[in-house]
Amino acid sequence: MSYFVPEVLAPAGSLDKLKVAILYGADAVYVGGQKFGLRTAAENFTLEELKEGVNFAHERNAKVYVVLNSFLHDKDLDELPDFVRYLEEIKIDAVIVSDLGVVKTVAEHTKLHIHISTQASVLNVESAKLWKKMGATRVIVGRELSVKESGIIKREAGLEVEMFIHGSMCMAYSGNCVISNFTQGRDSNRGGCAHSCRFEYSIDFGLKDKESIKAYFMSSKDLEGIRVLPEFIKEEIDSIKIEGRMKSNLYAGTMSKTYKEALDYYRDNGDFLSEKMLMWESELGKVSHRDYTEASLVDKAGDSSIYNERENSNDNEWKSIGHVVEASDKAGIIIEVRNAFNQGDELEIIPFKGEILKITANEIMSMMMNPITRTKPSTLVKLPYHRGAERFNLVRAKGSK
Amino acid sequence: MKLTTYAQSLHDLNIIKENGLDEVLLGHKEFSRLGKLSDDEFIQLSARARELGLSPIFEWDILMTETEFPSLAQKIITLKEHFTEIRLQDPGALEFTLTKMDSKIQWITENGNHNLFGLKHWEDYIGPRLSRLVLSIEIPKLSLTEYIKELKTPVEILGLGRILLFYTPRSLLSPLVKNSDDPVTKTMLQSETFEALGESEESPHKGFPLVENRHGTFMFHIKEFCLLDYGAELASLGLSYFRIDLRPSSLTDNLPKVKALTTEFSTEGFDAFKDTYPQDLMRGFYLVNKTDVLFPKLKNSRLVRKDEGYVGEILDVAKSEYAVIQLKGKVKLKVGDNLKFIHPEGKEYIVPVVWMKATDLTEITEAQENQLILMNTMNGLWVRGQAYLA
Ligand code: SF4
Repeated sequence: MSYFVPEVLAPAGSLDKLKVAILYGADAVYVGGQKFGLRTAAENFTLEELKEGVNFAHERNAKVYVVLNSFLHDKDLDELPDFVRYLEEIKIDAVIVSDLGVVKTVAEHTKLHIHISTQASVLNVESAKLWKKMGATRVIVGRELSVKESGIIKREAGLEVEMFIHGSMCMAYSGNCVISNFTQGRDSNRGGCAHSCRFEYSIDFGLKDKESIKAYFMSSKDLEGIRVLPEFIKEEIDSIKIEGRMKSNLYAGTMSKTYKEALDYYRDNGDFLSEKMLMWESELGKVSHRDYTEASLVDKAGDSSIYNERENSNDNEWKSIGHVVEASDKAGIIIEVRNAFNQGDELEIIPFKGEILKITANEIMSMMMNPITRTKPSTLVKLPYHRGAERFNLVRAKGSK
Repeated sequence: MKLTTYAQSLHDLNIIKENGLDEVLLGHKEFSRLGKLSDDEFIQLSARARELGLSPIFEWDILMTETEFPSLAQKIITLKEHFTEIRLQDPGALEFTLTKMDSKIQWITENGNHNLFGLKHWEDYIGPRLSRLVLSIEIPKLSLTEYIKELKTPVEILGLGRILLFYTPRSLLSPLVKNSDDPVTKTMLQSETFEALGESEESPHKGFPLVENRHGTFMFHIKEFCLLDYGAELASLGLSYFRIDLRPSSLTDNLPKVKALTTEFSTEGFDAFKDTYPQDLMRGFYLVNKTDVLFPKLKNSRLVRKDEGYVGEILDVAKSEYAVIQLKGKVKLKVGDNLKFIHPEGKEYIVPVVWMKATDLTEITEAQENQLILMNTMNGLWVRGQAYLA
């Protein structure tokens, strides 16, 4: 017997990340073109890369959604029809949109599926019904909703529901923060957010004889919903979304693998074993993150969801060493080094499925087979071949200096 | 061009009437982001407004989760006889009002909605019950001119008032003081709304007004938005409503001055107004909105591959020995080809392919997509350089 599980939707800020996320199990990825999305600083995809990404995904039964969720101004709309027609031609699976002008442009020029972005703050059944009438097939509900509330929306509005399950969080209702627009001249709703909510502020309550209080009072902890997966399944949420198009390959891969393994386990067994849950949680903890919160997935986000700290790294985080760019008997394992490691270090190669491959870097060679004792970032190095290692596998190490 | 503003007391209604307005915005504390009126107060103010010949407009602008929505939806039905029009911001509230009530609708599109195409579709969707579109203050004059001309519906924009920068449902101020033993702080915590000022060393702006109430936490700009000096211009463009939000300051003191300035503007009068007004003023993006001009600088466009002739990317360089290229493009690379490398800082190098090796160090003459190859290098080539057929 096989049980219902949601789609795992991973972020892909570049073509490499798309490949990594899909190879590690993501059922779908969301990507941005060079325009119209919110992650202006991300590498994003050229037209050719989009096509290549779609082909790569479809060959592996995965889907690609293109993000068009900026609040576009009139002049931005001029180029949109050609772009969306191209997306339809290359068989993109859906577009993610937040502005009515964009929804209608997509609907007028294509038959693409339209997913309403979390930027539109869909928070209730009536709102979902409205967007359905406008042509949407799915809503990505606001992060202020619980899984239970989202289940009600799905049933009563009769359209697909996608929910964020993991990653950084906007403290504001999405689309309802213009701090960057008015203080830095950068439109946060067209990709220019300067993350002013992560600053430390002095708060003056105007109380006599009381000093102002220093706090990171408007910074949110990161969302982690692995323990809430049973609820997502119970409410038949269609898609669980991982935030982070700007984050590393290690992030895209670890998140995709962990959530996918957890859901595969449920699909086959109909439950989550608690020791497995501990293992998945530990995997999620190894990637760089702020402290985790379940935010509003179960109950309304309370005081404990505020990250009142300067950004820092966590002790149990592992370092990304890089990823495998080639692995074969003849050439060995070639790693693109992101963070340096030394001869003798213990490395972990993360396979697309199954157990981690633990190796000791006793023999490190340059591409011309010269021995190396300490690697450098932005170089390629060769290790002896180990069965199981494949191109795009991620490599990590604990405490590598 | 008519003025519209908020009333929070019976006294406010008298001032509004005296200044010749014909409607009043009423903020019920359960429905309006910054509203403070209880049921009784709202009903009383709405009745008095009608006696004075003012049309009471009910503001329902909070965003609501599915748990909160049904009870508010039920309640609004019981209040509907007390207002003539309703202003809405959550699409859910709009859908509910369209399908379950018959009130005229003022649709707030202040959040995004920066294109005429979308605004026209809102008009079509809401239909004849749409009495007003409240537009975003981020729309510059040029666009506003076109919108007012092209839209069938009367348009409102903010003329004077706070600029809302941030709205979250989470309580962000009370956690900072909730454990205080101080009696004054404790009293403050018991009040329905409390305010503070915030500033950060990481921002040049000091003194952001902050408000926490039952709907969450709001942050405003340190300056207020003001287009009073463009009132005559906006009136000539055909703007129908100018919203004057004097809730943080005094309606009694300021509404007559605003009325005078919008009836007959004078520079001296405006200077005098600014001198006494409690906040600094700004016109935001009224003249021009360039909030996307910095975007090209957020990303190194040289690292964005151009699809034509794309070969791949340098992953490793050993000085004067070799460069390793990951072939990513569709083109086949052959010994004898010329490659152009474009580097992140903009330098370009033309390099003929003299030799190539596969990763097992065997000599090759041709390579294709997805292959990793070693080739001859030259001074200046570096990792992340993008390779194109020259
Ligand atoms: S500043 Fe913070 S709350 Fe505002 S848009 Fe950026 S991430 Fe969201």
